[in-house]
Amino acid sequence: MTQLDSRGIVEVSDGGVSVELKGEAMTLNIGPQHPSTHGVLRLVAEVDGERISKLDPAIGYMHRGKEKLSEVRTYPQITALINRIDWVSGFANEVAFIRAVEKLTGIEPTERAQMIRLILTELTRISNHLVFASSYPLELGAATPLMWAFREREHIMDVIESVTGGRFHPNFNRVGGVKPAAGGGKTQKKVSLDLPSGFYASVENAMDKAELACDELDELVTGNEMIQIRTKDVGIISYEDAVAYGISGPNARASGVPTDLRKLEPDVLPYAGLDFDVITRENGDSFDRYLVRIAEIRESIKIVRQAVNSVPAGPLQAKVPRVLKVPAGSIYVRAENPKGEMGYYIVSQGGRVPYRVKIRSASFSNISIMSKVAVGQLIPDLVATMGSLDFVLGDVDR
Amino acid sequence: MTDSPSETTELDAFAGEFAAKIGAERWTADHGTVHVYVDREHWLTAAIAARDEGELDFFSWLSAVDWSREVAVGEPAEDVDNLEERYEVLCRLSSSTNSDAVILATVLDKEEARLDSLTPVYAGAAWHERETAEMFGIDFPGHPNLINLYLPEAFEGHPLRKSFALGAREVKPWPGHVDVEDMPSTENIEAGEGS
Repeated sequence: MTQLDSRGIVEVSDGGVSVELKGEAMTLNIGPQHPSTHGVLRLVAEVDGERISKLDPAIGYMHRGKEKLSEVRTYPQITALINRIDWVSGFANEVAFIRAVEKLTGIEPTERAQMIRLILTELTRISNHLVFASSYPLELGAATPLMWAFREREHIMDVIESVTGGRFHPNFNRVGGVKPAAGGGKTQKKVSLDLPSGFYASVENAMDKAELACDELDELVTGNEMIQIRTKDVGIISYEDAVAYGISGPNARASGVPTDLRKLEPDVLPYAGLDFDVITRENGDSFDRYLVRIAEIRESIKIVRQAVNSVPAGPLQAKVPRVLKVPAGSIYVRAENPKGEMGYYIVSQGGRVPYRVKIRSASFSNISIMSKVAVGQLIPDLVATMGSLDFVLGDVDR
Repeated sequence: MTDSPSETTELDAFAGEFAAKIGAERWTADHGTVHVYVDREHWLTAAIAARDEGELDFFSWLSAVDWSREVAVGEPAEDVDNLEERYEVLCRLSSSTNSDAVILATVLDKEEARLDSLTPVYAGAAWHERETAEMFGIDFPGHPNLINLYLPEAFEGHPLRKSFALGAREVKPWPGHVDVEDMPSTENIEAGEGS
């Protein structure tokens, strides 16, 4: 564009005169109560017309102080707190924490428990990605995918509920293994102590339905021209920015970052024997972030189908002391949460209660780049970018 | 999983090599977690070296631990009477292509709770430093926008300091009478029996 003179008048090539009005910057407040902000995120945008010139995300409306609360709770009590960090993938939050405690104490979880943890983590991942893939089109104006994908997701929630007793907050992990399944009332209390009967059949059924959901989403959303126009080349994040901002999970893999902690941290969960691919894409735009998640659902279905056929027999929990004291030391363990790197840094002083727990959650770092990506965007593109980052405010604020 | 001897040696070797690369003298490699300790003066240069020489491009997190004699909530540190009061600032960096990772650590006097900002090196440090600043009261000179992230501007105190009381525990002490305080024994139990 040619240089504007002081009156905002510019000569154009055909000899005519065009006037570019330089608008006055206006501050637009979005949220904290706004449907596109996934909860209580507040965005303070400085806009020039429809274009954003500066964006300040204001977080903290969901801050529950989990790090402080962890300092006054025993290790087994903390799992109840932390599966509420990212409530769309409750089970996956527990894994890194419980593995960190196990490594500090030197308690080896049983192989059966590890495989059950793996299956439930992957089920959680499919469920999380289905929530994303169906609610994201809603933000772009398409309501039908939400109904379709949620219908199929319900089968996964049923499986998780039948094993753990809870749909969203399983609190299922114990140091050394997993909790024996809940009985259905007093009479059954001692009967069903392991995976519920019909578990394998219901997992197979849920996987078939999840695959169906992927096919439907592909037909309804992926090939949809309007969705593509709204998301392609919108909110591009480069490889360098992704790693410098600490963006992890599908958001990073859409920018070509090959990190997948399921491959890099083989002693957290036994992924080593399972055949699956790490999905990466190159463009780093909103559409790629959507595509990575759809492809990851299919990979997770592959993992679950292999894993349910190789659950070893044996006890659900290793021998553990009744009062769990964790030897002094500090440790950081990270695991691949559906949203990215979820890790816990634990400082123990040898007691029943940790001295300090630092919670590294994926969404916190993932949305910290918003103030950079949003500059120059139109307001509707901001909604498209924000939605594609798939964050949960509980995971941001902790 | 406990570390087998070979793994530990490998990790020790990596930690030693990495410490040499960034000019640090003290490091530990326990429980699969590498800590590399640097002086506060070398914090920024160590981070630059970790990114450029150590090839750790991924910024994971930054936070602190308050080693304090005054403990309002939770269990005090071991040997609390002889404890050297300090803040330990920790920054976890890792590689985006392999499993290399370290925690960069430094120790701050409580009277001089100031540390160079890493935001110019890793853009992602900005929010983590804002959080650490308000929660622990540590200053990060060089930070472009060091305002509160979570807390209202008028908030008094630094919640993650050990001396900061937890309201819920002040109102209702813990453990309560139904808690697991005095259990019959600490012997091992078989799986399933304890529930």
